[in-house]
Amino acid sequence: MPDLISLQTRMADALLHGRFAALGDQIVAGPVAAQEALGLHRNTVLCALSNALRLTFPTAEALVGEAFFDQAALAFVAVHPPARACLTGYGADFPAFLETYAPATDIPYLVDVARLDAVVEEVGALSVGADGGVIDLGQMLLTLDASIRLLDLTYPAAAIRDAIETGDDAALGAVDLAPGRYRRVLWRVPAGAAIRPLGPAAFAFLAALLDGAAPDTALKAALAEGADLIALQTEIFAAPFARLTMSPTLETDR
Amino acid sequence: MTLHSFIANASSDAVSRGARPIPAEAGIGLRLPHHAVVRQTAPAAAWFEVHPENYMTPGLADELAGVAERYPLSLHAVGLSLGSACGIDADYLSRLKALERRVRPGLVSDHLSWSAASLPTGPLHLPDLLPLPYTEEALAVVAANVDRVQDALGRQILIENPSTYLRFAGSVLGEAQFLAALTRATGCGVLLDINNIEVAVMNQGGDPARALADYLDLIPAAAIGEIHLAGHAVCPLDSGRAVRVDDHGSRVCPEVWALYETAIRRLGPRPTLIEWDTALPAFDVLQEEAAAAQFILDLAAMDRAPVPEAAHA
Repeated sequence: MPDLISLQTRMADALLHGRFAALGDQIVAGPVAAQEALGLHRNTVLCALSNALRLTFPTAEALVGEAFFDQAALAFVAVHPPARACLTGYGADFPAFLETYAPATDIPYLVDVARLDAVVEEVGALSVGADGGVIDLGQMLLTLDASIRLLDLTYPAAAIRDAIETGDDAALGAVDLAPGRYRRVLWRVPAGAAIRPLGPAAFAFLAALLDGAAPDTALKAALAEGADLIALQTEIFAAPFARLTMSPTLETDR
Repeated sequence: MTLHSFIANASSDAVSRGARPIPAEAGIGLRLPHHAVVRQTAPAAAWFEVHPENYMTPGLADELAGVAERYPLSLHAVGLSLGSACGIDADYLSRLKALERRVRPGLVSDHLSWSAASLPTGPLHLPDLLPLPYTEEALAVVAANVDRVQDALGRQILIENPSTYLRFAGSVLGEAQFLAALTRATGCGVLLDINNIEVAVMNQGGDPARALADYLDLIPAAAIGEIHLAGHAVCPLDSGRAVRVDDHGSRVCPEVWALYETAIRRLGPRPTLIEWDTALPAFDVLQEEAAAAQFILDLAAMDRAPVPEAAHA
């Protein structure tokens, strides 16, 4: 019998790729034959990973159907098996994989739908109402929710997701699938992840702040997109994911 | 240090850190779809057990902390991969420790199995509880891994006998013998899964009652800290044979209830969990199954109660 580390390496490789012959002599024949037993383990592994992807990408699955999704999932698993025990976050590379997955080339919006699914899942796993960075705006402090994530998409994935979630086939059929710029902000709310559209200026401002830019730099980025202060007020400062408070130094002065 | 004193010390260490002990009653495996019921209606349940891997994100850790405030809680891991020759994943262990510190479970457990291997292409973690050859080398590997986990957590863990479909030609120890040796080497406890005994023995050919007797003969009763009960499926294979699949997707079958009664009569009451993972039913079905286990626990407790002396006239 090989040593344990060799046996486990061989068995893991066999289960991942379905090559059982290399293990046959290691297993005692019983009521369940060795090939059948290994097949059961392989099936458990593949089902668990497909299900993990299905849970993370529900809109993508609904869009393409179970059979297509399962084929894509199995193809992904073969080249991106999990390295860690915790499957949270497994499939982060799935949208990028779909970009090169030949059977999906006829569905150009599928990648963006999957990207949105992945970020919804990521945000939904974060704490509700946790404060992120505090940005000193001079007289005011801007506190952003720690769960904020931004997406800059080419296709209207949020509209597709809404229509699928509500089972509204008419709305799904009416979605304009022409490519464009769809900027979205997501953040954690008690029910999961909230999604809102952002204008170009608000998106640029928020993206710069989240990248750690100084407020002046963020404002320049917003101005480059044609910002006006009213748009920033409406889309950022008054948004549920942001909180404006008076600077403590100003309060002391008063 | 004797096994008994290690277990007593380990348990009291956990309790002294604020862990709520798991009572020797019937608890329920809590799965994500039932969280809303638990949060909104606070249903009757002696205790809950969860898979910690499902709560290793801030949002779900918050949710679990809310459950732990109201119910005794047990963490039943599936990701430690205690049988892996490549060792324990340090990142996973630190996440488990953080969750353990936060929810302060009465028990922590995982399986006598492996999932992780080191391939030339990099680390691989297969989401399955894969069987081990029962050899002296494997015993040393599992013992070292259990030591590492117990040292990191600062407490005893329980190790569950696995459900298996196959046996390795190189095995030189029986499963019960292997687990008994592991408890002696590490001071870990045993989580006795009665359904797994039925599934594994029927799949490999043998008598489940005899296998249970082996467990109860070889493993000190004090080391058996918890019992699992679950349903399994009997599935036909292409070869015309049938295999028992440990799918946790149905009620506990009569054969497993009979084995459970035998075990409880011999051991006395033990924390007992109803596990249900696939085709999850309404929460009250789990409560019915737990009530059936509780009935057997209550009978055992009555059998063991001291008989009151006759009143003097």
